[in-house]
Amino acid sequence: MKATKILRTAAVAVMCLSLLFSVASCSKKAQKSAQEPTSVTVGITQEPGLFDPHLAVAAGDKEILFNIFEGLYKFSSDGKLQPALATDCAISDDCKEFTFDIRKDVKFHDGSVMTADDVIFSTNRAKENNQALASIASVEKVGDNSVKITLSTPDSEFLTHATYAIIPQSVADQNKTPVGTGPFKFKEYVVGQYVSIEKFADYWDSSLPYLDEVVFKICADMDSGLLELQNGNIDIFPHMTKDKAEMAGDKFDIVTGSSNMVQIFALNNAVEPFDKKEVREAINFAVDKQELIKLTMDGAGTELTTGMNPIIGDAYDKSIDGTYKKDLEKAKSLLEQAGYADGFDMTITVPSNYLVHVDTAVAIADQLKEIGINAEIKQVDWNAWLSDVYTGRDFQSTVICLTPDYAPMSEIARYHSQSTDNFINYNNPEVDKLMDSIPSTLDEKERNDIYHQILHILVEDSCSCFIQDPYEITVVNKDLEGYELYPMYIQDMSKVKFKSA
Amino acid sequence: MKERVTYILSRVLELVITLLIVSLLTFAAFSIIPGDTASVLLGINASPAQLEALREKLGLNDPLWYRYLSWLKGAFTGDLGDSTAFGKPVAELIVSRLPVTFGLSFLSLILVLVISYPSAVISSGKPGKFWDQFFSVIGHVSFAIPPFVLSLISILVTSKIFGYFGVGKYVEPSKDFFGYVYCLLLPAFCVAVPKIAMAFKFLRASILTEKNNDYVRTSKSRGLSNIKIMFRHILPNSNVSAITALSIILSDLLGGSLIVEQVFNLPGLGRLLLQAIGRRDFPLISGIVFYLAAMMVIVYFLADILMNLCDPRLRKNGGNI
Repeated sequence: MKATKILRTAAVAVMCLSLLFSVASCSKKAQKSAQEPTSVTVGITQEPGLFDPHLAVAAGDKEILFNIFEGLYKFSSDGKLQPALATDCAISDDCKEFTFDIRKDVKFHDGSVMTADDVIFSTNRAKENNQALASIASVEKVGDNSVKITLSTPDSEFLTHATYAIIPQSVADQNKTPVGTGPFKFKEYVVGQYVSIEKFADYWDSSLPYLDEVVFKICADMDSGLLELQNGNIDIFPHMTKDKAEMAGDKFDIVTGSSNMVQIFALNNAVEPFDKKEVREAINFAVDKQELIKLTMDGAGTELTTGMNPIIGDAYDKSIDGTYKKDLEKAKSLLEQAGYADGFDMTITVPSNYLVHVDTAVAIADQLKEIGINAEIKQVDWNAWLSDVYTGRDFQSTVICLTPDYAPMSEIARYHSQSTDNFINYNNPEVDKLMDSIPSTLDEKERNDIYHQILHILVEDSCSCFIQDPYEITVVNKDLEGYELYPMYIQDMSKVKFKSA
Repeated sequence: MKERVTYILSRVLELVITLLIVSLLTFAAFSIIPGDTASVLLGINASPAQLEALREKLGLNDPLWYRYLSWLKGAFTGDLGDSTAFGKPVAELIVSRLPVTFGLSFLSLILVLVISYPSAVISSGKPGKFWDQFFSVIGHVSFAIPPFVLSLISILVTSKIFGYFGVGKYVEPSKDFFGYVYCLLLPAFCVAVPKIAMAFKFLRASILTEKNNDYVRTSKSRGLSNIKIMFRHILPNSNVSAITALSIILSDLLGGSLIVEQVFNLPGLGRLLLQAIGRRDFPLISGIVFYLAAMMVIVYFLADILMNLCDPRLRKNGGNI
């Protein structure tokens, strides 16, 4: 009697369980049919911070906002500037007056039409929060569809900054309800889970975008992201490491290219022993960059010589390439000259959340042993790094990745002695003078010559040890086409679409 | 009746004092760690002017003690304030994470009960013999295995080899309830395993202690079968100490399971707390700590009531309730 009772209970339990499983697996299979709206999921590993385009400066925020907001000009995937909300720009000969023709019939996501007044409002608002726009003296309307921006000092590269978002005057809090003119409009942000954006039907370029919805799914880390990728929950995963990308499986393509980032082994020029040029030079000759790239990135990186990334184009001078080839004898004799024949002890402070930088620091410490330098690695939390190392400049050396804008000046501006970003305390009056002369130099060739001179001085001074431009590696589902890699932190979803079967 | 009121009052007072001490500790720890929300949100590309503007906007320029006191004032009137990093009400953020945390806790608790009781009964039936050894070894291993290793192995086995359980696909209960339970099953198992081992050890020990008592011998001499003695006498008596262990386990579960959430990419409380600390979000950290302390006190309160129900002596002697 009892045995049958137990059996019956067990049978019911098994039935319930199997029901549960079958229901769950059914709901799993019901996916994608022809008429359904197209949706693509992009994996990200950082939580978004700010949605207000004039406040957000973190790379992880900007790469999402690129789809929602646009400026008068915007970058294309080859790093060239293209007219976006402006159709043209007339520049005065003294590089102080920029007259923009505003594109007609552009609508904001809230349905209102963009006017010259919105452009003026946005310019003034963006200026408050952006140092690069501080030179704007006035903005005025010169016609219904024309706006003139006057600068207090000439800026030959002003157009690269004219990418700030144009937003409507009516929206009170862009952080809560972002409204722009981009190909996608903001839909929803669920903290810790995802940011979703949807197609903006009234986009001024009526051929774009192709997708109805894009979901930026927040993953705890790259490992859990990889698992989701393999399970088909994520279609595109940017900023991967090479080994992880190769584990994604054969349903995915791997897209690689330069990231325009600069991984630097930063030496604080204001503290001993790095205040001596010979010591900095010795370190440059002792570090084997190729080996570092092989160890930390599986070879997916380009060696750098100084603070400017060669991908920037003509402003870079290729003749400086290969200045520092590993030469231990030379490094030792330089140390001897500086009075450190027996080497010295030093500390490399690295943010513990960036594994690549920690790995790099460990490998560097190993290489420096060969010339008698004993480097100790100190891992700190990202907040502590920001406040002590970057802002407080209280450090000896560190490893970090710099993410400049795609503009020659942005790459090297931090080496001006007055720059707030000059965390390595580099100071050379000659470089300051040359840098100050660039904004008023109108001729591009002439400007590039000045850049070349600056680069030569930076190399001559060995202001720090520049390691690599780590490749940008993105994994993309093979069913998709149109994904373009930018040499900057941008995830452009407007041209992505499903391959027509 | 009067006793009951004093009992409840003392519990509430206990809750208030616990929360006060906990919030003070949080405040002290928070004032030591470097960095602030604005610098995390803006990252390395921010200029000092931008940082200053954002600090002003987020209200970070007030001294921390002032922010603490105004938070405290809000907390005791039921308002946990707004998160500085996310700009949303703290209560809303915490509530949005509860489906994951409650679901995980509930499922794991069921697993703990369903597995630990039978194995403890079997194991203590013949101490030192094969089944006892068998369960003890498994218990030791599962107690020692770190949750993240277990999570990774179970993902590998179930998802990669057998193709079950879509890892990382969290489904909200309001959208698809079965999908929600389904996606939590494997994580719940990983959370439960060390807890099962713990509950098993507790139960086994208390059953063995009870077994040596006189009433067991008496029952035996009256001709009761071993099974009857176990279920009618020993087990109910062992419950009292088991409840203590289970309440510790439950309050631990309700605090969120950071590592398992991280591996399975589940939006639970553990990850919210980690993010709050990473972003130096004082109201959010305090809010979550507030929740944790409250949960703990509530669970212990429930355990007390259960204990009273299980132990007639406490009731007869004019026990607390």
